[in-house]
Amino acid sequence: MSTDTKEASADEGPIIEVTDLVRKFGDRTVLNGVSFKVYRGETIIIMGGSGCGKSTLLRHIIGSLKPTSGSIKMFGDEVTTMTPPELEKLRLRFGMNFQFGALMQSMTVGENVALPLLENSRVDPEIVELVVKMKLELVGLTGFENLKPSEISGGMRKRVGLARAVAMDPELLFSDEPTSGLDPIMTAVIDQLTIDLTQKLHMTAVIVTHDMVSAFRIGSRMLVLGAGQRAGMVIAWGTPDEIRHHPDPEVQQFIKGEPDGPVPLKLSPEDYIIRLLGHDRDKGLSY
Amino acid sequence: MKAVLGFLSLNAEILYWIFVAPWRGKAGLNFSHAFTQMVRIGVQAVPMTALTSFSIGLTLAMQAAQELSKMGATAYVPDLVSISLLRELGPLLVGVVVIGRSGSAVTAELGTMKVSEEIEALEVMSINPVRFLVLPRFVAMMIMLPVLTVFGNYIGFVGGWSICHFALGMNTGGFITRIIASADPMDLYSGVVKSFVFAWLIGTISCLKGLSVKGGAEGVGLSTTSSVVTSIISMLVANAILTAAFFFTE
Repeated sequence: MSTDTKEASADEGPIIEVTDLVRKFGDRTVLNGVSFKVYRGETIIIMGGSGCGKSTLLRHIIGSLKPTSGSIKMFGDEVTTMTPPELEKLRLRFGMNFQFGALMQSMTVGENVALPLLENSRVDPEIVELVVKMKLELVGLTGFENLKPSEISGGMRKRVGLARAVAMDPELLFSDEPTSGLDPIMTAVIDQLTIDLTQKLHMTAVIVTHDMVSAFRIGSRMLVLGAGQRAGMVIAWGTPDEIRHHPDPEVQQFIKGEPDGPVPLKLSPEDYIIRLLGHDRDKGLSY
Repeated sequence: MKAVLGFLSLNAEILYWIFVAPWRGKAGLNFSHAFTQMVRIGVQAVPMTALTSFSIGLTLAMQAAQELSKMGATAYVPDLVSISLLRELGPLLVGVVVIGRSGSAVTAELGTMKVSEEIEALEVMSINPVRFLVLPRFVAMMIMLPVLTVFGNYIGFVGGWSICHFALGMNTGGFITRIIASADPMDLYSGVVKSFVFAWLIGTISCLKGLSVKGGAEGVGLSTTSSVVTSIISMLVANAILTAAFFFTE
């Protein structure tokens, strides 16, 4: 990243601007009027219960899915109406770390990290080899270059995915649950790496995570997606302090990891019957 | 209708990456990947192709000998073997071998990559999956299927020769002379033209079915079955059309 880019940060407009994003799969609304802005150098944390649409939101931002309605702008350009060549050009500016790594199983760890460099640049193969070693060193995987993804653990695969995502030194990093399945020390290492990338290199990060310790450690702003009646809606958006003291009981239940609250541990007997039978108990069974 | 559109769209993309993209300064075919696929699709299929072709040459010669011996015309056994193999059975049998061995493998491999997000990861890395994955497999199929077909023809002749020589007492020189006399170059060309068409069908159908996998392991299984069935039916229909075309134009 150039020095000029680093200096032009806070004063420039948002690099991601999501406005009234709606996505429906059949009758089910997965994202419901999601809006937020991301500025350069920030680390945005997207949180919410399982199946609330976090990964779907991420996939819309990177252009893999098209929304039902709404707008997504990245670096000032509308993503939702981009042609495939325009998307290809845009994607050179960001890296994506998938939830399960999404590594090429037929390639070695080193070849996976080298892939974007070899395919998208004309860098000398010796330099690529050096970059691969540097990126693997960043995620604590030096010496694993020649192993296949099937020969390493799930946590290691995640770290290789992260090394591959930052191989091209992108301006923007998307990461889907980067620390799930990692031990506490490696979680802290990945967190520190994210902090270094955002603070020292002014990389911007958008991270989906369930890990509250990690989220509050690295997040500069946080977005919480709702569940139940408010499924797919942004129920909280702010700095870690604002989220920590947020008045919404669902947010508090989520960040404290409480089993019961606005998202109930057990359904009421009436709701249980309705969900089980598909109709009210008083109306009797249909068979 | 959707499947036809998908097929046409994939063909258009393949043509773009072969003939247009390199002239626009974009990366085209990865020769190293294409070579790897040529080894998988072609070289590694040699034993199975040889076995199938040899047994068909053997069977054709035995059946022809049985019927022709009634008329005392066993000298014409090589003629029947050569015409049948060059025009029809050679390309068809090698096509079936490649569909079963490589077409299904291509669909299963691409399908597994689809369900494990590898293809989405390629797209997010600005690497076009058609260029990176489909093109090497397609080019390898277009080169290796005709090569395997010609190879299979010769092995089929060896099967026919073994019956003519050991069972009918025909000498090797006589067998070769009859083969050369009975088959004209058009017989060989028509078989090779057919094998190019079959390669195009198998290559595009197997890749298309792989890229359109939905769901998990079950989806991969269903798509692989569908790929094999569709490829065989398409090949048989194309074979009938091409045979008719050669028949009426000669």
